[in-house]
Amino acid sequence: MLKKLLAPGKKEKAVIEDLTRHIKLLYSGLDAFERAFRDKDRDLMASIIDLEREADVIRRDVISNIYEGAFLPYLRPRLCRFAEVIDCVFDLLEDAAYQYLDLVIDASIQNYCTQIAALNERMCEMLLLSFETLMGGGDLRDKALAIRVYEKKVDDIKLDLVRDLRNVEVKTFWDGKALSDFVSSLTSVSDIIEDASDYLQVINVSMR
Amino acid sequence: MATLLPLIGCVFIAFVVGSNDTSNAFGICIGCDILKFKKALCLFGPVVLLGAVLQGQKVMKTVGSDLLEVNLSILGVSLIVSALLIAFSNWKKLPLSTHQVIVGSFTGAGMASGIPVSMTFVVKIVLSWIVSPLGALFSAVLIYKLMEKTLSRFSVFRIETILKNLLILCAIVIAYTTGANELATVLGGAVHAGLFSTTAASCGGALFVFLGALFLSPRVIETVGKGITTLDPYSGFAAQFGAATSVFIFTCLGMPVSTTFCIIGGIVGVGALKGMETVRFDLMRKMMVSWVAAPLLSFCICFIATKGLMFFPKGFFWV
Repeated sequence: MLKKLLAPGKKEKAVIEDLTRHIKLLYSGLDAFERAFRDKDRDLMASIIDLEREADVIRRDVISNIYEGAFLPYLRPRLCRFAEVIDCVFDLLEDAAYQYLDLVIDASIQNYCTQIAALNERMCEMLLLSFETLMGGGDLRDKALAIRVYEKKVDDIKLDLVRDLRNVEVKTFWDGKALSDFVSSLTSVSDIIEDASDYLQVINVSMR
Repeated sequence: MATLLPLIGCVFIAFVVGSNDTSNAFGICIGCDILKFKKALCLFGPVVLLGAVLQGQKVMKTVGSDLLEVNLSILGVSLIVSALLIAFSNWKKLPLSTHQVIVGSFTGAGMASGIPVSMTFVVKIVLSWIVSPLGALFSAVLIYKLMEKTLSRFSVFRIETILKNLLILCAIVIAYTTGANELATVLGGAVHAGLFSTTAASCGGALFVFLGALFLSPRVIETVGKGITTLDPYSGFAAQFGAATSVFIFTCLGMPVSTTFCIIGGIVGVGALKGMETVRFDLMRKMMVSWVAAPLLSFCICFIATKGLMFFPKGFFWV
């Protein structure tokens, strides 16, 4: 009886499950991106676009469940915002995947991009761990710190990447823009994952 | 005429209690979508009746017998004046406590007609009006501190679920005290003047409280419920539960106290805990003015009205 009283309601359960699925899907997307980029697998890269569509459906479910009354009003905007931030990462990943399909990546920046893609994937893994810790009631600080450290690494690599990017010869303005957009999308993923991690921290402390 | 006027007064005030006090009890739960309005109403009606039947007698006795021996004439004047004042305050959107208006009216009408009014009980009631919001304030602070120490250990989603259940529990306690205290204050005079039996008064009163809640409360709930939920859940719950505890204790002591004033006391308590700058002193001042003016105004109007009616030949209105 007490267990039933303390268990989350149907809508709340659905939101929690959807959010977990949302982060797991992002992790799969980032993993697929990293493998596709490393192995130059264009089909795998194209599959990320389908994952983004699936993630959109999950975000809509999360928001509609919250709109229908899941959770106390105090938590609702924070959880909606968290789902939107995750979706934002997906949008960046999709943009990067689209741009990759139209590009030939210069060998001089290949290694940097692979490193960043791998770090993005690890950051998302840590975000998933953070969310699971949030559900279990543990301390998120060490996970948040790890995410910040990874983000710093991405920033450092980005500096070198941008420096070397200037030496890459581009034939047309549009080729250059596509390459610049690709790098920008890829390197922004870590910033948004860091924002998502900060949101989890806010959610965690907001009810205490 | 002598029985019709008090009856109209009782019905009207019970109706107003239903329309206004449902928001005290279930405003937050409905505002937060924890309960739908229909479900809340189905809970509110029976719990109010339960409160009136199980614990209403003590407050009824204080208002209708201990304060003064109410008769039908005093009852008629007091309840009609109270009903008019409450209607006026609702129309002008002024905060007015039903308890204070009724007690002030009874005292005014009683003194004007020469019926002995127990000053001991006047002092006791006024003291309870001062102590009950303070009690709510301290209870709210205590509950807030206790929750910080205990609930914070759980995960955020577990805390949320626990708070939801506690808010429902709190709403039920306030609905219970609405019956045992608020409704009992309205009916106390009528029961002790011999107009109804306690059971009949409780059932009839609860029915009109229910009807008031059904027809008029949704708009009040929308205003109060959605407004209050901007408080963080800990503060909202602590303020409400602090008020519920205070009103319940005073109900057990048989003292008519206002749930609204107690909730305000609770909100001030948790607000002060987070820093005095969060407390809106302009609003507090307005409430204080109403707190002093309501019983004095009802006392004076009833005193003058009773003196005026006593000029008519005995039997015409005055029993």
